[in-house]
Amino acid sequence: MKRVTIMAKVDPNICRGCRVCEKVCPVLAIHVVDKKAQTNDEACRGCANCADRCPFHAITMVKREKPFVVGVDVSKFDREKINALCAKAHFNPEQVLCYCVGVRAEEVAAAILDGCDTPEKISSRTGIRTGCTIECIQTILRLLEAAGITPKPPLADGWQWYGKTPTAWTLPEDVKKKYNSNGFYFNEDRKLLEEIAATNTEKKG
Amino acid sequence: MTNNNLKHAPIMPIAAKPSQYGIDPSLVKKRVAEMPGMCSLKLTELFPELPPTIYPGPEGALDTLYKVARQELDKVDMSFIKPNQSVNILASHHGFTLLGGQPYAILLKATRDAIMEKTGCKDVRLRAGVGMRFRETEEYIKRYELDKYFGPGKTRGVAPVDEGIPIETEIGTLYGIKAVYDADWIVHCHHTDVREVHFHRQVDKAVKPFGMSYARIETRSTYHQNLGPRAANFTARAIFESKFVQSKFAFASFLNVGPHGVIGVDADNDLYAVNQRATFIGCQLYGKVMTLFGKIDKCIAVLDFPCPVPYVFCAGVIYANFTGANRDLYDMEGTPLPPYTWYTEAFYKKDGSPILKDIPPLNPAIKMCVHNYSWTGYPSAFFSDHIPTVVVGSEQAAMFDVEPMNIEYMSHAVIAKTTESAMDFAYKVTGTDKVIIFDGAMGGLNCSESLADLLIAKAPEVSKEVDTVLMPKWFKQRGVDISVLDKLQKK
Repeated sequence: MKRVTIMAKVDPNICRGCRVCEKVCPVLAIHVVDKKAQTNDEACRGCANCADRCPFHAITMVKREKPFVVGVDVSKFDREKINALCAKAHFNPEQVLCYCVGVRAEEVAAAILDGCDTPEKISSRTGIRTGCTIECIQTILRLLEAAGITPKPPLADGWQWYGKTPTAWTLPEDVKKKYNSNGFYFNEDRKLLEEIAATNTEKKG
Repeated sequence: MTNNNLKHAPIMPIAAKPSQYGIDPSLVKKRVAEMPGMCSLKLTELFPELPPTIYPGPEGALDTLYKVARQELDKVDMSFIKPNQSVNILASHHGFTLLGGQPYAILLKATRDAIMEKTGCKDVRLRAGVGMRFRETEEYIKRYELDKYFGPGKTRGVAPVDEGIPIETEIGTLYGIKAVYDADWIVHCHHTDVREVHFHRQVDKAVKPFGMSYARIETRSTYHQNLGPRAANFTARAIFESKFVQSKFAFASFLNVGPHGVIGVDADNDLYAVNQRATFIGCQLYGKVMTLFGKIDKCIAVLDFPCPVPYVFCAGVIYANFTGANRDLYDMEGTPLPPYTWYTEAFYKKDGSPILKDIPPLNPAIKMCVHNYSWTGYPSAFFSDHIPTVVVGSEQAAMFDVEPMNIEYMSHAVIAKTTESAMDFAYKVTGTDKVIIFDGAMGGLNCSESLADLLIAKAPEVSKEVDTVLMPKWFKQRGVDISVLDKLQKK
């Protein structure tokens, strides 16, 4: 869930239509039309990637007159299905996935159950990956994979995301053996992540 | 020597700086170090065994640093770099926040000059990576006039959302920033400042930028979400050891920094040799300050530095590490999960309690945080949610309230109109007059006289504990041969 308070505003006099903004927007809310960037105000989730990467400083973030909240009400979805999806992706349902916005695994799982089948749709619905836009892409891809969905990057030449990466559950045994004495504690950390994922947070006490 | 002889007038903190990430410097009306009851301690008096610094130093210290850097770089083999080839010097944002930023800028300039003079290469560029503030190194490139020094089109700030490049590693595909690797050779220009001990745990710290400021979002997400709090540190090594990176890596050029200042330059074709020496600096020199701060029983923590909330400095220790000072962050086994890391933050439930009972709380010695001056640009709501926080000035509060990474920071903090009223409030509510100030004071630390007394009293026993008990344990856990200590002394 995210309170969306700002949005991107393009100065067409400065914009040169280079499309960097298009390539870094996690919710596909900005497009270049006739060599000028145009924003979709409703779709913008206020991450500021476009403003911060525009080579010409043509975009500024402005306060919204009417801030709004995006989010998925997890209570409207089958709890068992949410939990199963999270477990398969090795997450506790209450685990925070987005450190900027505070979106938890259960909300992303609910968004997927509601039909969101790409990282972009999930970000738009929940607000995840619209803060720093850096740290939580893999959590989204892991939950989509758990749901049997293999999304493709949204633009052929975009930079939104490229692909899924290794996890604690895919590290080759020989690599772990080779480097374990260097302070990496591979198996111990995997055990910790599994303990977190397996803890029933619905129980009191 | 009595306590009073060790207590000095406050060190004037680093000035507020103009940045898109912080309030206008003119709004910073008062620095807490200027307030009644504050003093400073010199680190070389608390820990007399600390090595001498080049900077801070006498007049001309930066010129001396340039000479030291050139002498060290002369020892590095650059013979494989041909005059018609290109070289990317890789830098990271954090170096520019150390000791005013000039020392790191000097090292970058010296490294460029050494490459050009020793190899005849003319196409030497600067690629400066960032943490989460995508414009940050663009600002530094201009502030330190690196754009003029390197020449037109040779400098570039790069961000983790920029165009990427796949890198095949021993554990699978990871992703780097394309512009970082768009030269024939890369030179890794970094420093030994420990900064995020909660994340890197002084394991492969010298290698870390390959998995962070030089890396794409996919890689950084792997580090912070996929592997676990200690195993995460393998991400950087996996990338560095890839055939692709090894085919481009020329050498490393490091600013040796201790908690009290710049102590030298370390340049080497072998990054792991640099890493071992950096591990020693991180464990012994910074470990002593970190361990000392863990002895503080209660205090008010003041943020007063041009950096995001977790990165404000006090004696080389960042606020994020102080929030974990109730545990030994260097102890890989005794502290499997520090009180603050993103993994820890993730493991708190909706009702605010930890998912596992043995997850350590943020440092309970911090009774209140007075946020006098600090920047946005890092998700910091976890701190204001867990530590009572007073933010000075409505402008600063308003800035945090709309910043994409801090939408909820002010949901948990209160606002004071002035620095004076914020401190008065903190004194009354907490009942303590012990104040630690994270303002980047060079060569020492600013604090209240009452806290100074405690730190002076505890420093000798901490020094002994680190040297004789903790450091051998820390080194063993990292697979580092403690004889590196002897080798360093011989050097």
